[in-house]
Amino acid sequence: MTLSIPHQQRLPLAIAALGFAFLGLFLLYPLFNVFSASVLDGEGEKFTLANYFKVLGRPFYRGAVINTLTIGVAATITTTLMSVPFAFALSRLPVPGKAAIIALAAMPLVLPSFVSAYAIVLLLGRAGIFTQWLNSWGIGFGSIYGAGGIVLVYTLTLYPYVLLPTMAGFKAVDVSVEEAAQSLGSSPRRTLWTVTLPIVIPSILAGGLLVFIETLENFGVPFVLAEDLPIFAVEAFKLFIGETAPNPSSAGVLGVLLILTTAAVLLVQRRFLSTRRFATGARSAPPILQVGTGVRVAAAVYCWTVVLLALVPFFAIVVLSFMEFRGPVLHPNFSLENFAILFDRSIRPLLNTLLFATLAAIGVTLVGVPIAYVVTRVRSTMASVLDVIATLPFAVAGTVLAIGYVVSFNSGWLILTGGPLIMVLAYTVRKVPFAVRSSSAILHQIDPSLEEASISLGRSPLQTFGRILVPLMLGGILSGFVLTWVTVASELSATVVLYSGSWRTLTVVMFQALESGGGGVATAAASTLIVVTLLPIALLYRLIRRYELS
Amino acid sequence: MTGIVIEGVTRSFGTVRAVDGVSLTVGDGEFFTLLGPSGCGKTTLLRMIAGFCELDGGEIRFGTKRIDKLPAHTRDIGMVFQNYAVFPNLTVAGNVAYGLKARRVAGADLAHRVDEALALVQLAGYGERWPHQLSGGQLQRVAIARALVIRPQVLLFDEPLSNLDARLRVSMRAEISELQKSLGITAIYVTHDQEEAMSVSDRIALMQSGKLEQVGAPAEIYRNPASRFAAEFMGTTNLLPEGALRPEALRLAADAPAEWPRLAGAIVRVEMLGPITRLDVRLADGTLVRAALLDDPGRPMIAGEAVALAYDPARVTVLP
Repeated sequence: MTLSIPHQQRLPLAIAALGFAFLGLFLLYPLFNVFSASVLDGEGEKFTLANYFKVLGRPFYRGAVINTLTIGVAATITTTLMSVPFAFALSRLPVPGKAAIIALAAMPLVLPSFVSAYAIVLLLGRAGIFTQWLNSWGIGFGSIYGAGGIVLVYTLTLYPYVLLPTMAGFKAVDVSVEEAAQSLGSSPRRTLWTVTLPIVIPSILAGGLLVFIETLENFGVPFVLAEDLPIFAVEAFKLFIGETAPNPSSAGVLGVLLILTTAAVLLVQRRFLSTRRFATGARSAPPILQVGTGVRVAAAVYCWTVVLLALVPFFAIVVLSFMEFRGPVLHPNFSLENFAILFDRSIRPLLNTLLFATLAAIGVTLVGVPIAYVVTRVRSTMASVLDVIATLPFAVAGTVLAIGYVVSFNSGWLILTGGPLIMVLAYTVRKVPFAVRSSSAILHQIDPSLEEASISLGRSPLQTFGRILVPLMLGGILSGFVLTWVTVASELSATVVLYSGSWRTLTVVMFQALESGGGGVATAAASTLIVVTLLPIALLYRLIRRYELS
Repeated sequence: MTGIVIEGVTRSFGTVRAVDGVSLTVGDGEFFTLLGPSGCGKTTLLRMIAGFCELDGGEIRFGTKRIDKLPAHTRDIGMVFQNYAVFPNLTVAGNVAYGLKARRVAGADLAHRVDEALALVQLAGYGERWPHQLSGGQLQRVAIARALVIRPQVLLFDEPLSNLDARLRVSMRAEISELQKSLGITAIYVTHDQEEAMSVSDRIALMQSGKLEQVGAPAEIYRNPASRFAAEFMGTTNLLPEGALRPEALRLAADAPAEWPRLAGAIVRVEMLGPITRLDVRLADGTLVRAALLDDPGRPMIAGEAVALAYDPARVTVLP
């Protein structure tokens, strides 16, 4: 044999090679093209930094940068302020209906945030139901368009990103640490501030970071609510659509700036967290605190209010979709007209959504699970590099990746624009980090000696992967599959750049209906989307419960 | 079955030489133990034989066949792991059948061999149970049955008893050594517990810093350690100017033959362990000597009192 690669490294190397090839072609190459577009002139021939000066020289785009960052910081602060007490109440206080609260609180993560934004417009916008009702009583209130409304929607839809890790953080606090503090003479209140909260801070920050990055990338919410306020992701899209020169240099500039910002934030967080690991390795969750009736009632009211308030917009959309619209104007009569119009035109968008979500979920599983295997099981520079590249899509806004796809696969040896495959590939690449994260979390809990046992019993590494690891990871793979499916179904930012002709999805239908003022079709599409995302989640819940019972 | 030949095997991790030029020959059917403190290279050496760790240099042969370049799954080895490594997604029978299925054993033969292996480790009738329903000792039995059932050329044990409680450890090690003897499969056993090593092994290789310190039968290493490290690792050692002396070679002067050399001192500490009593005795020159005496209710030992000891000069080992 001339191949000198040690046999136990062959499978990881083969996977890594395929991973690098896939991510190289469908992530790094398009991103490189976005970058080079930003530093080349309009004809795409000469190197220049003029594009950066041109874009950043205009107050409008400088404003976009400042607005996006300001809104991001504000939304991170509001979600954190709202979620930390919530998480504390759920993990340490007696609150009725905790299981239901936790299930409901996770829902905004899978429901499309721009639907929530649109619902806010229908309720509180200029011609909104509440606005008119309040006006009829002679009460007015400030506009929900612009930064305030955007922060409101972000807070209501992104708070689970802080709530869930913070709750896990509170539950992981070893109660003996608190007991130690109290035996040293610290009051329960002082213990909370000086011992418990500091231990939980890394979890809070990790969640806050997710919120911040989501706000930087989000396209749908500012598209619905920003009106004249320039926002990064939206302006990059508008620039790209509007640019007539062969080289999308201005959109490239905004794209590069967006990636650099997210990457910088991620790096800062990594540095900060690397020196602060307070995992205390609690054997059991800390006990529920004994509190007075006042605190008990306040906690229950607070938790239920937040969780229901966040779902009101989605509920409202479903109700409104059964009402009569004349253009964008709503009339309070029951009607199935909206759905009739939506599906009379074509049922294709719904089918496309289902098809793309399924294909992307399969793609993400096939790419993400093997990469997670290499990242967790191999300790080498190669594995770390693969890990970083597989996490990169997380820092890349959908709009920017999609622009890179159009630039890269519009001509040359691989032409994908105009077809459905380019959308599926973009979705797959965007969701790979989630699959890698969730799969490696499970793999970390599977003892490597199980694999060695299987190999020493005569199964090759590949057979071992299929016969031992995949069955053990099945629950996690399945949840990852459903989560990918659901989030792809409501994907908007890459979709609006990449869709073409008959390959429109439900989100595109809604997007177009909003642009043309067709409120009825938009609500019908939105509530169809809500059903489409909630059904698989409900199925998964049932499946997991049955699995656990058996 | 098969003897194992290890020749000049070397492996470094970074700048650390985990295994440094080790050469060994393990006889056919022998129960051979790699013993040493953590980090001595014993586990690395075992994993090289199993195929989970590459060699930088040297070679390993089963009989005359060189195996160190073969993929692990083709080496025909039965391995028992420290944490059992029982597949949680398979039943007890499924675990035991796993290696047989990989060898394309099927049907009645498969069922028969699984039952036989389970009976061998006293788990007959446990086939349909799930791993999470078993205790640690039972899980380790499943792991042993799973390794035995494929009738491997070589059995490897990687600290198989260290996750069990003390009492179970003692009974399991007797079982393992009986099973190995009755099947006659060459076995290599890794442990850091010298008592366990002495109880199960035909021969022991004591390792330190990636090198062999001493190879020999348990009694030989215990009684004639080749180095100070070997002497101290194999048990409590008194280092006298004359050489190394085991605590049990000391007796009360009153009970000892007249020609035995005497040591006089004061008792510093008394440890009553049941059958034996351990004494720490401070000699006049300040040396601390440890003695182990059989329990004797007629002679209570009290800390602070003076004591006269004597030792058998034939049991002093002169260290190089």
